[in-house]
Amino acid sequence: MWIFNQILTRLFDVLFWPFQWLHPWWAMIYISLLTGLFMLWVFRLTSNQAGIKNIKRRIKAHLLEIRLFKDNFALTFKAQGNILLCNLKYIGYSFKPMLVMIVPLVLIIIQLNFRFAYLPLTPGQRAIVKVKVQPDLDLLELPISLTSTSGIVVETPPLRIEEEGEIDWRIKALEPGRQSLFIQIGDNHQPISKEIYIAPDNTRRLTKLSPLRPPAKFPNALLYPLEKPLPTGTPLREIEITYPSGHFHLWGLSIHWLIVYFLLAIAFGFGLKRFVGVEI
Amino acid sequence: MSMKRRDFLKTAFLAGALTGLGLEPFSSLAAKGKRDTARKMIILGFDGLDPHLLEIFIRQGKLPAFARLWREGDFKRLGTSIPPQSPVAWSNFITGTDPGGHAIFDFIHRDPQHYLPTFSASKTEEAKKTISLGNLVLPLSGGEVTLLRRGKAFWQYLEEYDIPATVFKIPSNYPPAPTKQRTISGMGTPDILGTYGIFNFYTTTTAEVQQDIGGGRIHNVYVIGNQIEAKLPGPVNTFKKDRPETYIEFKVYLDPVNPVAKISLPGEEFILREGEWSGWKRVEFPLIPTQSVSGICMFYLKQVRPEFKLYVSPINIDPAKPALPLSTPESYSRELAAKFGPFFTKGLPADTSALDSDILDDREFLIQDDFVLEERRAIFEYELKRFESGLLFYYVSSTDQRQHMFWRLLDKNHPAYDERLAKEFGRAIEHIYIEVDRILDKAFSRVDKNTILMVMSDHGFSPFRYAFNLNTWLKENGYLSLINEWKQGEEDFFLNVDWHRTKAYAVGLNGLYINQKGREAEGIVPAKEKEALVREIARKLESFVDPATGERPVRRAFVTQDVYHGPYTQEAPEIILGYNQGYRVSWASPLGRIPKKIIEPNREKWSGDHCMDPAVIPGILLTNRPIQAKFPQLFDLTATILQTFGLPQPPEMRGKPIFKEESWAKPK
Repeated sequence: MWIFNQILTRLFDVLFWPFQWLHPWWAMIYISLLTGLFMLWVFRLTSNQAGIKNIKRRIKAHLLEIRLFKDNFALTFKAQGNILLCNLKYIGYSFKPMLVMIVPLVLIIIQLNFRFAYLPLTPGQRAIVKVKVQPDLDLLELPISLTSTSGIVVETPPLRIEEEGEIDWRIKALEPGRQSLFIQIGDNHQPISKEIYIAPDNTRRLTKLSPLRPPAKFPNALLYPLEKPLPTGTPLREIEITYPSGHFHLWGLSIHWLIVYFLLAIAFGFGLKRFVGVEI
Repeated sequence: MSMKRRDFLKTAFLAGALTGLGLEPFSSLAAKGKRDTARKMIILGFDGLDPHLLEIFIRQGKLPAFARLWREGDFKRLGTSIPPQSPVAWSNFITGTDPGGHAIFDFIHRDPQHYLPTFSASKTEEAKKTISLGNLVLPLSGGEVTLLRRGKAFWQYLEEYDIPATVFKIPSNYPPAPTKQRTISGMGTPDILGTYGIFNFYTTTTAEVQQDIGGGRIHNVYVIGNQIEAKLPGPVNTFKKDRPETYIEFKVYLDPVNPVAKISLPGEEFILREGEWSGWKRVEFPLIPTQSVSGICMFYLKQVRPEFKLYVSPINIDPAKPALPLSTPESYSRELAAKFGPFFTKGLPADTSALDSDILDDREFLIQDDFVLEERRAIFEYELKRFESGLLFYYVSSTDQRQHMFWRLLDKNHPAYDERLAKEFGRAIEHIYIEVDRILDKAFSRVDKNTILMVMSDHGFSPFRYAFNLNTWLKENGYLSLINEWKQGEEDFFLNVDWHRTKAYAVGLNGLYINQKGREAEGIVPAKEKEALVREIARKLESFVDPATGERPVRRAFVTQDVYHGPYTQEAPEIILGYNQGYRVSWASPLGRIPKKIIEPNREKWSGDHCMDPAVIPGILLTNRPIQAKFPQLFDLTATILQTFGLPQPPEMRGKPIFKEESWAKPK
């Protein structure tokens, strides 16, 4: 899984390479356009184009029937029933391409989430590091400590939440760049690291961020592809950093990136269907 | 029974003069095109800066920027308003008139129909037209907040001539007077609850929970499994018929051993060590699915063990999403929030109530006040940097707040003086003078030969050692009668007053009213007898001697007909009391309580004050030009502003310019 994640992440790194110095809006427009084209391509390959054309014609015919025979209740009622049936058939035709698309789309969304959903810390900003441990461990007895590279300072002693099996620290970003946190448990275990990115300033750029280092288990390893899963046999379950969330702003509205992505991808899909020659 | 300041605040809030929230967005005003002006003006308004202390600190070499301004220009005492209360004094400056021209006579006015105190500066009304759907009340129009100050502001005059002005946090301007100039409201701006600021305090200590505190709410919480569940109260939900209080739930996680806690709010969590402040946190109070109110507050983890204590500051209106009008244009507060993040919007930002109630100690209060100052300094530097023409007015409140709260540690004769605290915090006032000196130093960087730099305060300061129960004095002198003598001192709002036998009563910090027939609901004094009665009371007040000290608590009793000019003089109290140094009205009297003793020692932390005789506490005026006026007054500065920009002075303005026109070209 890790190798697969690595390949996929590298592929997206290459795709986004020209946009890394720009505001994420540009990368969002670009990836939505690619997704729109990808969806059209999958649709053309996997759907019954002739069937879709035919069913759409039949729907139009039944709509016409309703308008022409609006005084005839029985006929209108029958036409509405036929439209409903045609719609069901149309959904049936769309089902196969949707099924084909769903897997690559999930993989794309996972990759995009770590590029659009979070904002990096900036010098002076604070965040919480949350470490979850195996449920059978006694937190008060666990000799756990957090250290970091010089660009970060750990500001608080551990805060242990026994009910959740969670230990939290507050960290403060000092210097920009890729920094690391190290979690040490007793003397017998190797320290476990977690990467953290600190941006030089508040200027928003496309930044790849990994909020969570997952356990080496499916589906977590798939959902958090940017960092190597935790080694097996470690007392830790996961390590998380609470990065600020990064919404898109348009006309004073704060919009979740996924909504922007789907709206743009669908708009591009519909806008380009004629050029690509796809019947949707 | 005496009334402490906390009782005063609590009762004042109960009066509920500010209720409801107007949630309709106010129309956005685009910034107007501005012309360059040959002359420029920077005015720094340091509330309550006292000339006597200023001179001492300058002579000690602690205020180099003030010393420079004095050396290069001039320094004079500035005549303050009658009474010398901030809302009144700043209104004098804003409008160039006295209270007869702007109708602000006190912090508190009274409703003659009910004898109840009302806030003088603004009025908040809910939507007049609504429709009800079950328990839902949907407004068909917006709520309304009205500025009660009358008269035109000087920046409105400047606007007419297209002269740009930025006016930052000037008091007595909430809601901001309509203008296209850049203004943001200051003193008088409420918190999100519509009050002058209510903090929340969460504690496991039962004794603290039982405290009766004005300006704050104490919540009893329980630690269960190292976790605490609590509610942060928000504004009343005016979209519901039963008007429930809104709240957000939050959780606190405590480490079993370390003095550290995680506070988990909806959408945000943060960790605090014992003794740490959180910085601003945004809280959103849901009203109905499409409407919510956004506020900002700070958390302070005072103690984790053995008893848990968490302080939450009054919830300020969020400048990024203001639920009430804060600025003109409306986008100005958003612009500042985008640049600097959340900032204090409440009129008087430092939480003096929390210090007075011992929820915050002196050190904690000063830390909070430093936050205020840091924000002000950052925004000032930003405004100063982009100041190119016209006028920049900048206001600092910490000078006033610190002198109110720390005078007790400066004055060995004060009943609340504490030698141990004086050693640690006795220089808190000196420090704030040094801080504003740094602000002044920054301002010098933008001063050229065409710029007038002016530093002013609305009044000075004086010790508040003894509290004068004015209504008790009226009773003892036969002007006010009680229904039940044995209940004296127990009830507020004149509930025990027999109006049919009462000739005069006192409401507010300096005002005394005649119970006039035809004006007051149960008035008994005929209009033709009023004049004589007013003169008689004024004479008696001025001759009253405190048997304990041999001093006269009332230095001057001003008859407003004699000292006010303008169309609103008739609305004023008949007499404004000018207290002597060391004396001030008690906290009980302004809200209609009649304690048994006329004079009581003031043991509160609120120990310095200025609601006295204006002659006792003048403000300061320093400029980089020689001041020609012998005794400059606040309203003279307004005339000076108009003169500086070559504008005609409207007839309703009382003042005279303080500079000779030709002095312009010749700075000293």
